[in-house]
Amino acid sequence: MEEFIDQTVLGPLTELGRQVLTILPNVLAMVLLVSAGFLMAWGLGHGVERLMRVIKLDQLCNRLGVNAALVRGGVKSDPSRLAGRAVFWAVAVFATVAGLSALNLQPVNQFARSFLGYIPHLFTASLILVAGYLLSNFVWQAVLITAVNAGLPPARMIAALSRWGVQLAAVAMALEQLGIAKTIVVVGFGITLGGIVLAAAIAFGLGAKDLAKDFMERRLSGGPDSRGPDDLRHM
Amino acid sequence: MPPTVELAPETDARVQAIEETDILVGIPSYNNADTIGHVVRAVSAGLAKYFHGSRSVVVNSDGGSSDGTPDVVARTSVDLGAMLIRDRQSPLHKIITPYHGIPGKGSAFRTIFEIARRLKAKACAVVDSDLRSITPEWIEMLIRPVLSEGYDYVAPYYLRHKYDGTITNSIMYPLTRALYGLRIRQPIGGDFGFSGRLAEHYLDQHVWESDVARFGIDIWMTTEAIASGARVCQSFLGAKIHNPKDPAADLATMLMQVLGAVFALMEAHHHAWLDLDGSNPVPLFGFPYEAGVEPVHVNVDRMLASFRQGLADLEPLWRQVLAGDVMEQVCSLQGVPDQDLRIPDELWAKIIYDAAVAYRARVMPREHLLKALTPLYLGRTATFVMDTQGLTSSEAESRVESLCESFEKQKPYLRERWKQFVTT
Repeated sequence: MEEFIDQTVLGPLTELGRQVLTILPNVLAMVLLVSAGFLMAWGLGHGVERLMRVIKLDQLCNRLGVNAALVRGGVKSDPSRLAGRAVFWAVAVFATVAGLSALNLQPVNQFARSFLGYIPHLFTASLILVAGYLLSNFVWQAVLITAVNAGLPPARMIAALSRWGVQLAAVAMALEQLGIAKTIVVVGFGITLGGIVLAAAIAFGLGAKDLAKDFMERRLSGGPDSRGPDDLRHM
Repeated sequence: MPPTVELAPETDARVQAIEETDILVGIPSYNNADTIGHVVRAVSAGLAKYFHGSRSVVVNSDGGSSDGTPDVVARTSVDLGAMLIRDRQSPLHKIITPYHGIPGKGSAFRTIFEIARRLKAKACAVVDSDLRSITPEWIEMLIRPVLSEGYDYVAPYYLRHKYDGTITNSIMYPLTRALYGLRIRQPIGGDFGFSGRLAEHYLDQHVWESDVARFGIDIWMTTEAIASGARVCQSFLGAKIHNPKDPAADLATMLMQVLGAVFALMEAHHHAWLDLDGSNPVPLFGFPYEAGVEPVHVNVDRMLASFRQGLADLEPLWRQVLAGDVMEQVCSLQGVPDQDLRIPDELWAKIIYDAAVAYRARVMPREHLLKALTPLYLGRTATFVMDTQGLTSSEAESRVESLCESFEKQKPYLRERWKQFVTT
């Protein structure tokens, strides 16, 4: 009985304890690395933010029109804060990966190596998404203003479609950069965009055929714009 | 010191041959073969009739016309006998030259200014090449105040229909007057007189690679003259009839060009206007008269529809441009029936001032900002039309004057917002 307890209960427990004791220093190292990393990330983030404010990055960006671009893109933070947050998250991610490596577990090490190799793709994809987001807002604004000034009733819908189109393209490019289901992304994007164009064409053809007819007649005949309402001269 | 403007070799040789002149009249052109002959004849007759003892040069600065505009200028002559002019003492020289640089009226003017400088011209004038109503008297009215009265800048004063030049009436005149304190009725008229000294000052400005070279030269010349402390006056020229502006240019683009130019000048010359209050009349030469004007058909409904669509669709953009209380006042117009819808003078002044501050602050791409104002402008124009229907031109003019007074009254509002932006 005693032998049985030794083999079935205490044996595994001893083994477990040994394993825990073996891995404990690594876990402690991980906790230390991650904690120190986050602390360092926090310190560096704040340091960089302060440094950027001292060297007047915000004013420089303002002169270059960067602040306005951020506002247009819906980003409320100023460039100094953004730089600080970027440093914080970069250091924090590295610290986490380094901490996980300290566990010295084969799958984790493999993951860390893969992750580090993946970082350039991640960086490029992030840039594509940010640029796509900013561009989509710019396009939305331009299309909306043009459509309103042209007196097109569905101005908001046209502008929203333009924005989605640009964002969709940006997401497809980012996914392609990340190597996620490359073929599906390309095909999916083609089908979606083609579908939107076809739907818009059918909708326009059915819903606005008179408008299209008038427009083409004016264009082809070179006659006066029937909407040209008055003899008022602005200039 | 900006570099000297390069002239074509033939032009340079011609300038050297002429050596010096008293008067120079410039005509910028681009594909104006059908109208420029009349302009050249009027200019030639004006110089012969009113300045027969003075050395005169007519300069055609052409932007590469493909319709033979320079040829028309070269072969156009005027029968002085038919105009009872018999004592022409000095020959009239013609210089026909292409201009270099960015295509646009500004670059054409730059070449004219350069020739004026090289010829040491005492008085100059520029007139548009598409004018159909120019007479020899225009030349006297633009040149005489400079030569005889010592003025540096002569702005035109036209006889216009109350609904002709609505951008001038609702924005350019009130804004220029409130900013710089001078009541120049047609700050973007297009036909001006100026001294040789002022032409040199224009040349020395570093603007010739900017939008001024393309468009906006008219308001730039007026503003620069005021800001440089030049003596400014106006001359009554009668009616201005000219070919319609580029038909391809839509209203939003026109508004963008004109407002963009005046807002950019506000930035450049804020020291000249920020602390000014009120305005002073500017001397007017000539013999102003009123004439019956043919009725003009104006589609107010369409303008109001455009305003309402702007209110519905562009509200998020307008909120970025307009101050909170101003935006609330604009929004309060939403449910008002068409016949009662008005953008009052004070609100309109604040809208324009807010737009100027937003342009300075770059709250959105400047082109978007300016084009997004089009429905607001149409709403204001509809207001003016509804308020002045049935009024004579002089009665309508009093409405413009009261708008100007509102712009002046609201100047502290602009000052406060502008300074607030500059300090933050």
